[in-house]
Amino acid sequence: MTTAILETPSQTKPAKQKVILCEGNEAAALGVALARPDMVAVYPITPQSSLVEHVAKLIADGRMDADIVDAEGEHSVLSVLQGGALAGARTYTATCGPGLAFMFEPYFRTSGMRLPIVMSIVTRDGITPQSVWGGHQDAMTVREVGWVQVYCETVQEVLDTTIMAFKIAEHHDVMLPVNICLDGNYLSYGTSRVELPNQEDVDAFMGAKDVNWHVALDPLRPMAVDPLTGGSGGKGPATFVRYRKGQCRGMQNSLRVIEEVHAEWAQRFGRSFAPLVEEYRMDGADYAIMTLGSMTGAAKDAIDEAREAGKKVGLIKIKTFSPFPVEALMKALDKVQAVGVVDRSVGFRWNCGPMYQETMGVLYRLGRHVPSMSFIGGLAGADITVGHFHRVIEATEKLLSSPAPIEPVWLNEKD
Amino acid sequence: MGAYNTISFDANKCDGCGDCMTACATAKTGTDDKARSRIQIVGSADDGFELALCRQCGDPKCVTVCPAGALTKDYASGVIDWNGDKCVDCLLCTVGCAYAGIALDEGSGHVAKCDTCDGAPACVPACPHDALTYVTTSRIYNEVGDWEDLFAPGLAGCQGCNTELLMRHTLRRVGPETVLATPPGCVPGMGSVGFNGTTGTKIPVFHPLLTNTAAMLAGIKRQYKRVGREVNALAIAGDGGASDVGFQSLSGAAERNEQILFMVVDNEGYMNTGMQRSSCTPYGAWTSTTPIGVGSGGLPSQGKTQDAKNLPLIMVNHRCEYVATASTAYMEDLYDKLDKAIQASKRGFAYLHVYSPCTTGWRFPTDQNMEVARKAVETNFVMLWEYNRTDGLRFTRPVDDPLPVTEYLRAMGRFRHLSPDQISHIQAKVVENLAFVKQMAQRQSA
Repeated sequence: MTTAILETPSQTKPAKQKVILCEGNEAAALGVALARPDMVAVYPITPQSSLVEHVAKLIADGRMDADIVDAEGEHSVLSVLQGGALAGARTYTATCGPGLAFMFEPYFRTSGMRLPIVMSIVTRDGITPQSVWGGHQDAMTVREVGWVQVYCETVQEVLDTTIMAFKIAEHHDVMLPVNICLDGNYLSYGTSRVELPNQEDVDAFMGAKDVNWHVALDPLRPMAVDPLTGGSGGKGPATFVRYRKGQCRGMQNSLRVIEEVHAEWAQRFGRSFAPLVEEYRMDGADYAIMTLGSMTGAAKDAIDEAREAGKKVGLIKIKTFSPFPVEALMKALDKVQAVGVVDRSVGFRWNCGPMYQETMGVLYRLGRHVPSMSFIGGLAGADITVGHFHRVIEATEKLLSSPAPIEPVWLNEKD
Repeated sequence: MGAYNTISFDANKCDGCGDCMTACATAKTGTDDKARSRIQIVGSADDGFELALCRQCGDPKCVTVCPAGALTKDYASGVIDWNGDKCVDCLLCTVGCAYAGIALDEGSGHVAKCDTCDGAPACVPACPHDALTYVTTSRIYNEVGDWEDLFAPGLAGCQGCNTELLMRHTLRRVGPETVLATPPGCVPGMGSVGFNGTTGTKIPVFHPLLTNTAAMLAGIKRQYKRVGREVNALAIAGDGGASDVGFQSLSGAAERNEQILFMVVDNEGYMNTGMQRSSCTPYGAWTSTTPIGVGSGGLPSQGKTQDAKNLPLIMVNHRCEYVATASTAYMEDLYDKLDKAIQASKRGFAYLHVYSPCTTGWRFPTDQNMEVARKAVETNFVMLWEYNRTDGLRFTRPVDDPLPVTEYLRAMGRFRHLSPDQISHIQAKVVENLAFVKQMAQRQSA
């Protein structure tokens, strides 16, 4: 036996990375700085505020060379960035909850104009009931608007994914805006050990910037941006259809690009994250639970304990929520006989979690009946503990022998 | 092409004293024989006075009919010159001129006509009533006529609308190194951004949202500044988008002093979409959302019940780099302000508020646009002023002896229903607004 193989330095092993201790919001800000955007527009909102404060400080200290626009609200924040992107700028912002709601009008338009703007959503539950605490309701509410949306599990993943998001957004086969979703409170303020990539390595990873090759407001390349389309006949509606179809193609292309970019990241920086769907202890699993975001850590602990207790349970974590990774999830779900899906938000129309709703569509495509149920937890900052996940595992296990309940299980209702 | 100068005559001020004729005769013949003056004041059919004087026509008939080539139009000065060496005294020119601007001078035996005394006409200062003024008639045309019109032909505005001329003049003045924002409204409605792959603009143009024009332009301008390129950021927006739903981004951009030229074309409502009320709609006006009717609860519906928001004054209170109001009835004033606004926008936020009578929505005949615009100013319903931080606010065309506001109101259908009380309200508001702006003009001078 020898460990020599593990210790042999690889040809591509990156330079030693600085290790720091920071919260998720600072990690996001550091990732933004490393990606070298030209323009950042900010408006503070809890629990995002410390993120934009960190960005402002990085710029003030000369550690980041970007034009910062302190706009008068989120609506203008995104609008400023749209203008910047149309003039060729790499652009970034962050928001959440009510700020995202206020931003919705230009938010919808960003994907239609195919602008590769990157925006963190420091997820916050939707009001009302009034709350400033974490939850996925904000990001879930805008899941159908043509932005790529990825959810992070750890602070390190926040930093790394923030950088990767620019490369994904600006890939010529994608050209779509990207949200990096990091859980308000749990990731935004959660402090942990983080490896900080070197600027030269990130520069090499990012390559040349080419933001507005496809649509520009530039006197050197005059064009009319976003003329009216549609109508009852003629070429108008067909023009609109081709725009929309292109957006959908860009979304589908992003699934491949997200995988490629994550693979390149792992190769260059030595850290590997499941790009679309992570399968955890799924070998030999009879049933699985599904998670999203930072709750996954506690869920994995619960899975480990359950496995030690002899339960044949695995975990499926979604990283890329939009576009929904249908094929990758089918592959994972095909291994099990039952699934319980834990959401950190609600789907009002189906009386279940939104991710559960999406999963039901994938289950249908499997072509066989897989009993499933919805769990809703972690609303308004509530903790989903290992204990909660044991309840999830037990309830999901019962699906193997009993009929699935129609009602969701509300995890924190009696905490 | 040079300036076209001529002498303008205000018949209302003339009392027929003949001092101008004496001055001309003295200057040109060395005599005080009014009969030899090249300017002739004659009695008119309505017991007033008329002017017989060369108009220095752009298409001069005297030149056309002259068989000797003795009359020539100088296209640099605009003056029509008479050459005695060539003239054969046939007098055909006196028949060709419809203004009696060239006539036989019996003292010399040749025709004689006004030559504007090389730009300093003797008659003008001689008039004791200021009835004569020496004016540059086509300065704007002569200066910008050769500049490229940066809109394509065929913009589809309503008949008689002044917005198209405003757009064309503005953009050719601002120039091709410009990104133009035209938020939803009449300006894109007439095809500036275009439909399904066609466009009416020869420079980069886009539809912002109704709400985010100033913010998007700010992003564009900042990025070009960052990469060291001089690009103008110009908005031609409607009053609704600027004063209502787009006001937040407008105010934010002004507060940040973004380097933008923001022009509001104020037709006092959402005219492109069917003439709905905006916060710039004046009190009492009919719009499709402030209609006239018997009302409910015994209260008749008589048009808008609130006064207009004064957006340009609000912009003054942002201490912008430059703020001005303008009217297409006073193009030289408008051009002067446009030039200042362009320069100011290279330093910070410049705001230009242009009143735009709407033939369709205000309900007046299509040939009356300029007349309505002029009456708005002559009644002080609209005031023309400019502001900068150094000099404060000043009137550019003060109207000291305004016409009653009814002269303005009666020019259009949207005020036809007004009750005497409503008219009194509007007249009182005009007085109040004037006093308010006057107070600012005094207070804000640095």
